[in-house]
Amino acid sequence: MARRARGDTMVTMTSAPDPTERPTASMHVVPTAPTLPDTPDGLLGTGALRPVSPRLVPARYVASIVGYVIWVLLIAGAIVAAVLTDLWWLAPIGVLPLIILLQSLLLTPRRVRAIGYLDAQEDLTIASGIMFRSVHTIPYGRVQSVKIDEGPVDRRYGLAKLTVSTAAGGSTVVLPGLPKQEAERLRAMLTERGLEIMAAL
Amino acid sequence: MSATEHPTAGSEHPSAGPDDAENETGHGGTAVGSTADGAADSTAEGSAADSTAVEPGTDTAARRRTHPITPLVSGWKIVVGIIAVVSAQNIARLVNDFSVTKALIGAGVILAAVVIAIALSSISWWFTTYAVDDEGVSLHTGVISKSREYAPRARIESVSVERPLLARVLGLAKVRVEVAGGGESYLDIEYVKSVDAEQLRRQILGVAARAAESRSEKTDRDTADDAGTEGAWIEGAGIDGAQFEGSRIERNGSQGTGPQGAGSQEAGSEGIGHDRTGTFQNVLYDGVTDGELIAKIPTGRLLRSLLRDLGFLIGTVMSIVGVLVAIGLAIWQDGLSFAVIIALAPTAITIPKYIFGRIESGWGFVSRDTDRGLRMRRGLANTRTDNIASGRVQRFQLRRPLLWRTPGWTAVSVTVAGIDDSDENGAEHVLPVGTSEELGATLSHLAAPLGTDDDLGTLEHLMTARARDIEGLRTPARPYWIARRTEVTVLLPGAVIHRSGVLARTVQIIPRERIQELTLQDGPLARRLGVLDLSVGIAGDTSLDLSGLAREDARALHGALALDARTLRRYRDRDQWPQPALGRLSATPTQSPAPTQSAAPAPDELLEDR
Repeated sequence: MARRARGDTMVTMTSAPDPTERPTASMHVVPTAPTLPDTPDGLLGTGALRPVSPRLVPARYVASIVGYVIWVLLIAGAIVAAVLTDLWWLAPIGVLPLIILLQSLLLTPRRVRAIGYLDAQEDLTIASGIMFRSVHTIPYGRVQSVKIDEGPVDRRYGLAKLTVSTAAGGSTVVLPGLPKQEAERLRAMLTERGLEIMAAL
Repeated sequence: MSATEHPTAGSEHPSAGPDDAENETGHGGTAVGSTADGAADSTAEGSAADSTAVEPGTDTAARRRTHPITPLVSGWKIVVGIIAVVSAQNIARLVNDFSVTKALIGAGVILAAVVIAIALSSISWWFTTYAVDDEGVSLHTGVISKSREYAPRARIESVSVERPLLARVLGLAKVRVEVAGGGESYLDIEYVKSVDAEQLRRQILGVAARAAESRSEKTDRDTADDAGTEGAWIEGAGIDGAQFEGSRIERNGSQGTGPQGAGSQEAGSEGIGHDRTGTFQNVLYDGVTDGELIAKIPTGRLLRSLLRDLGFLIGTVMSIVGVLVAIGLAIWQDGLSFAVIIALAPTAITIPKYIFGRIESGWGFVSRDTDRGLRMRRGLANTRTDNIASGRVQRFQLRRPLLWRTPGWTAVSVTVAGIDDSDENGAEHVLPVGTSEELGATLSHLAAPLGTDDDLGTLEHLMTARARDIEGLRTPARPYWIARRTEVTVLLPGAVIHRSGVLARTVQIIPRERIQELTLQDGPLARRLGVLDLSVGIAGDTSLDLSGLAREDARALHGALALDARTLRRYRDRDQWPQPALGRLSATPTQSPAPTQSAAPAPDELLEDR
């Protein structure tokens, strides 16, 4: 907001003494007042964001059952092959599926907890990821399309996935694990607010 | 408008693909590429061509055909293509057993091909019609599968006139209408007489400008922005769809009435009335005769600039050496024969072609400031004129190779949503090699000011100073030691500027009101180094990646830019720009009080942020 900008963006401008001389580099407006909290050991933006539904954890487990079965079969296959053929080095082949399986089983709750969003006054912030974390900020006026997806598993858990895209090249931001009403509310709000303050390109 | 006709267009394509700009075009239904919709129209409403009452051009303006010589030109292209393909594959054999009868047969075949190609082109020419009216430009093509393309006026980004060599000999030109949207979002009207092309261009730009006028006039902010973007709302999975669609139709309806009211302004007569500035002059200078001269590149400077471009020189020398070595090897291996030379010919041709392309991109370059934006003309064999409307530029990229530093030349290219024309010769290159004054003039006519005391001086400083002397944000992380010394991000009241490059310096300017989206990225390494990556999304293909900023800086910048993105609005017209343009040509910068970003928004935009 312009009100705020006048207040606390500090324009450190020493008047350029001589026009022919190159201006001093003090044109730079020092940005102040970060809005996203960043605690040393926490995740970027946590605290300021709202979590998604915890039901996303079982939903994700259920959705990836097929994958788990395949990984388990691969592990079992590697072990069995190693035992049957007496070629011991076949067993480590099962390590990679094991790692994938374990990280999925162990980290899914944390991953879900790491997803956060905030529908602020003027923009929508969506964050996700633990290790590689990204925080997207989309002003309502720039939203080009909003989409709600409900997969079969999601529907069973009463969840929906919101996809928001802007005109920025190839960028769609996905927010999974919203309760259905919440997704509906966000979609309605985004479309309404988007039309209201449409800022186009 | 066809958007009202196809209210469910959105739900036909539920997946918002990565190319959402294309979605935008598709879903709007009012856009180029609504081929399927158009075809559906014609079948649904009866096959008669004139039954498309929704489509403009049928009722208000007469549909026109392109010039009758068009089949000759386009047919010729087909023939050349066929001959090139056939002969390239078999030329060695053809040369080996050459005889008169075979030559005659060959000539006969070629003649037949010419006749057939021209006949086919004639048929397609007959079915190709275009129309320009108050609502936009429409183009109908196709014999068996008909396509009806339509560029609504609100979404016309620019109009360019191209003159390929053959067409130019015949006095013809191609008119290309660029529409907002990704990929191949344009209409080509080819070919019309050069004079007509000029007039057509003016007419289309007049129509497009009226859209902008009516937009800027409206106080009602809901409908203030372009109808195209409204068409872009995609309905999510059909939930609650009926209600939303209802509102959209209503919205489109109001759109329809608004611009027409405003459309009765002087703009209509202006577009055509302009044309009496002497047709001969128009043809000679491709219509780039009126308006204030912004930049004009003498041939000498162009050639010297190429000689001073180390990347270009090294590339050329390397490829020449490579080709020579290849030819030498081939001859050494197989002996000198005709077949070897023919096989190597394409490789040998690419180098002159590349050099020629570079020369052509700046040859005879003239840009002028017209009431329709920046108008550029360039080209040696294939002259083209482009138009970039002021206030449509999303990003500027200034480039200065090592040896251009002494004369102080700069190349400017821009990113405009909808113009996907990134070849050397394309419309995006608004200044191939310009002096400092030309740089300032070009920028001042295309963008809102940066908001410093002396914008041009600031830019010059950003281009010339060592990166470590520029005050701004830079990475604190030691491992990025090159970036620490060469990259710096500067936040000006009007724009975010990123300077990079070791030898060839690049300065990217993103006006702060253009920011579409912001993404902060964190990773294990970044956490260890105490940095964050910030990527600034703009409409167009790529985003500006500011990597490795200190966490505190990145978050602060994120906060500031997010504020801009949600509050600052684009300025459609230069009239609405808050400041006099860049302090171009003026040795004494205007001693205005330091404008902060709060000086930028127009009054009603201040009201809007709440």
